[in-house]
Amino acid sequence: MTAESEPGTVAVGAATVPPAARTRGLRKVYRGTVAVDHVDLEVPAGAVMGMLGPNGSGKTTTIRMLLGLVTPTSGEVELLGHKMPDGAAHALPGVGALVEGPGFSPFLSGRDNLLRVAAAEPLLTSAEIPNAVGEALERVGLAHAAGRRFRAYSLGMKQRLGLASALLVPRRFVVLDEPTNGLDPAGTREVRSVIADLHAAGTTVLVSSHLLSEVEATCTHVAVLNQGLVVAQGELSALLEAGTANLLVTTPEVTLAVDALREDRVAARPVPEGVLVDLTATTAPDVVASLVRAGVPVHEVRRQRTGLEDLFARLTEDTAVADLADLETLLPEDAR
Amino acid sequence: MNRKKTALSVAAAGTATGVVGLVLIASPAGANEPPPALPGISAEALVESVLSKDHIPALSGAVEFQQNIGLPIPGLPASSAEGDAIAHVYANGDGAGRISIDQGQSERTVVHNNGTTWVWNSANRSVTKYANTDSDTEDKGTPEQLADPAGTAREVVGLMQRDSTLTVDGTARVAGRPVYQLVLTPKPTERTLLREIRVSVDSETRLPLRLDVLANGQADPAVRVGFTEFKPGPQDPALFTFTPPAGAKVTDGKDAKTHGFDEKNVESLLGGLDFKTVGEGWDTVLTGKFPAQLLSQGLPTGNGRGGETPGALIKQFAKEVTGPFGTGYAISTHVGTALITTDGRIAVGAVPQQVLVDALGQK
Amino acid sequence: MTAMTVGAEVGAPVRRAPLLRLFRSELRMILRRPRNIIGIGLLGLVPVVAGIGISIAASGSSSSDGDSVDGLAALVDGNGMLLPIFALVLALNMLLPLTGAMLAADALAGESAHGTLRGLLLAPVGRGRLLAVKAMGVATVVLLSIVLMAVTGLVTGLLLLGGDGMLSSSGTQLPFVDGLGRIGLTIVLLTVQIWALAAVALAVSAYTEHPLIVIVCSLGLLIVSGVLSAIPALDWLDPVLIISSWESIGEVVRDPLDWAPLGEGVLRAVCYMVIGISIAYGRMLSRDG
Repeated sequence: MTAESEPGTVAVGAATVPPAARTRGLRKVYRGTVAVDHVDLEVPAGAVMGMLGPNGSGKTTTIRMLLGLVTPTSGEVELLGHKMPDGAAHALPGVGALVEGPGFSPFLSGRDNLLRVAAAEPLLTSAEIPNAVGEALERVGLAHAAGRRFRAYSLGMKQRLGLASALLVPRRFVVLDEPTNGLDPAGTREVRSVIADLHAAGTTVLVSSHLLSEVEATCTHVAVLNQGLVVAQGELSALLEAGTANLLVTTPEVTLAVDALREDRVAARPVPEGVLVDLTATTAPDVVASLVRAGVPVHEVRRQRTGLEDLFARLTEDTAVADLADLETLLPEDAR
Repeated sequence: MNRKKTALSVAAAGTATGVVGLVLIASPAGANEPPPALPGISAEALVESVLSKDHIPALSGAVEFQQNIGLPIPGLPASSAEGDAIAHVYANGDGAGRISIDQGQSERTVVHNNGTTWVWNSANRSVTKYANTDSDTEDKGTPEQLADPAGTAREVVGLMQRDSTLTVDGTARVAGRPVYQLVLTPKPTERTLLREIRVSVDSETRLPLRLDVLANGQADPAVRVGFTEFKPGPQDPALFTFTPPAGAKVTDGKDAKTHGFDEKNVESLLGGLDFKTVGEGWDTVLTGKFPAQLLSQGLPTGNGRGGETPGALIKQFAKEVTGPFGTGYAISTHVGTALITTDGRIAVGAVPQQVLVDALGQK
Repeated sequence: MTAMTVGAEVGAPVRRAPLLRLFRSELRMILRRPRNIIGIGLLGLVPVVAGIGISIAASGSSSSDGDSVDGLAALVDGNGMLLPIFALVLALNMLLPLTGAMLAADALAGESAHGTLRGLLLAPVGRGRLLAVKAMGVATVVLLSIVLMAVTGLVTGLLLLGGDGMLSSSGTQLPFVDGLGRIGLTIVLLTVQIWALAAVALAVSAYTEHPLIVIVCSLGLLIVSGVLSAIPALDWLDPVLIISSWESIGEVVRDPLDWAPLGEGVLRAVCYMVIGISIAYGRMLSRDG
């Protein structure tokens, strides 16, 4: 913990790599409305972190504070080892970002728009600009439409152009806010492969998405936001592991089964399909043994594959209190 | 470093600088300076030193004219905003002079040199040439004369000496120059609307730099003619020559049809009025007669766009009155009153209406 | 820890995109915008149309008094060098302020609406530098529009109305070179005045995402100033109003020139620029991108 919190120690040669981005106690209030609060986010270097959350959960606000676009009401942001927003000039050249949809001038062609972004890019010399723009267009498959006005682009093409501008130069950290928004399946696959390439090249990626399957397919880490709070964060595999710790028992004698399990101090609750049993403190064979002992007729016992979607749904459901209790049991220690 | 605080202080500092700058521009130079310390001088000595100046030295200056007499005066230049020059004057100290009068969209230039006076009017690009005449008498009563405060003030001072108290009321600054303030106050017996006439005399050249006419019950001058800029010193000789530009209509001033304002006609009209003065001093009243049908007859007005009868014009700002004189119209302003009766009599003076009625009654 | 972090930031060289490159890119964008091209083109046509109008009006009634056209226009007939000045003073009433306000509106509010401002901030272009580039872009295009008007006006005037040198409103004939000087002076004075308005517009532009609001506010400022200056009881306000300087620009056709009101007008414009730019800068530093 001590080594991690001091970026300066890294240069001395400590084994820990500082995170690409880290926030501490981040809070933003817009005209009396709390947009995000207590956000302690950490994007480990080299990770592909998926940021999940329903609309209005504070994903974009968090990203904008991360990039220094918005000054937090309180809390700290560190991006690539520089405090934001004051260190923007040092940190941002290493960061490529696509935030809140692609922002381009509608009356300029795709190429002209990218040339404009490139002109502002500190890492490019003037001589390198035409090549960098050409390559970026090629990379997102827009080379054929480079001369067309941005206004005439389809939603997917606009999104690709945004991706191209984020990837104009090699980055250490790429932030993609809803990158697959408006893309067809082929485009989605391309974005996935772009993320995979970035990951392979050692670039840290932060992706926010409402498409959970995307996150599941591409991310190594996940952070879940709900109503401005980080409700879960950690490695994807660990979170999914936690999500599987349930057993669904199909039985006609629901009440009997729940009573029997509670008597054996096993957490269980009735659900429409039968009885849902929490496996955190017990194992499947023990549950079956208890039920048989109590004479409960069991049609089927199934280990529940929650997947990220179920996890997400549980974490962000608005029927808060009961689910928060669930959450406590659901999350692994290190993610709480 | 708090960016928000920096932002706020930058914005505040910049705005404050700009606003202070604007206020500095707005406040006339030397407004807050104490009045200059000048050697004391008696009123008589001051008037004498003014009157002894029989010619205008070489100078250049800008002249402002402001009036707040409570009436629009046709023919006079419109009142200018504070500090705005309406005319620029140049003199070479040797009798030649140049006056440029700003008339909004157009400009009149009067160049007088070696007995020749050129009047240029940019509105119709006409040039009028007055040869071998003395421009001082020629121009009497025209707006151009107002732009010559030196001459105007000198006349007024000389005329008023008898019926007025003459004092030197400290010093001030006009057009950035230290001046003595010569104040003419009507003697208490004078029945006039005017409170005082204030002439600012340049301490160095002894030229009157500003003339203020103050009416009773008013803080601001009813009429102010004065320099806003004044620089004595030799002038570019080219200013005092005038070559009619190519394409301009040049007419001889002798056939006076060229001016929009028909001066000959007006002169003959004035002659026919049979003017007399009643009383003397501040409450002098000018009475006269005119053909009564003139009220309903067209008269060429200043800009040559006549059409309204004088009668209709008068009714716009006069109120109908009756008295021993019959019926008529009274036009009252802060500085004077005019009474026009329907049977063709007229009385004008810097006096209340009753004095005019008395004057008409003396006939 | 904090000390070390700060130390690292101070020590490391910051790479920045060259200012000139940013400026060129900004200009290219402004001048590629179809609306701007059309607008500037129309501005260039104003003197041509005015010149044709004056020459028709003058030839139609040359036999009569010559009073067919009023004021400055009367002086332009047969006096072609005055046409650019006449057209510029004419455009100062509405077209040029509109141009300045429009450019300033596009510069921050428009870019913000397109989402491109965010892109520039992320590049990153420092907020101060961004404002500088934007202000320089607006200023340059304003100057360009005014110079264009002067050039088309001069060419039209010389071809259509002719004249030898420039006839000043004081009735003196200025040689050709002096005439050019007067046109140049008009360009400078007008540019400075429009810059002042554009600076104020830029401040508004930094506060909103809606370019139209900027244009409405800027023109509203002019209209309110006009109303205030027309109320005699508020005469004391006149020297502070932005349009007070605009009325004195007609002075450039006088001979000899009276520099006092012109200089005062420039100073007033500078004050407005300082106010506008510093408010815009403050907002740029603190705004959320």
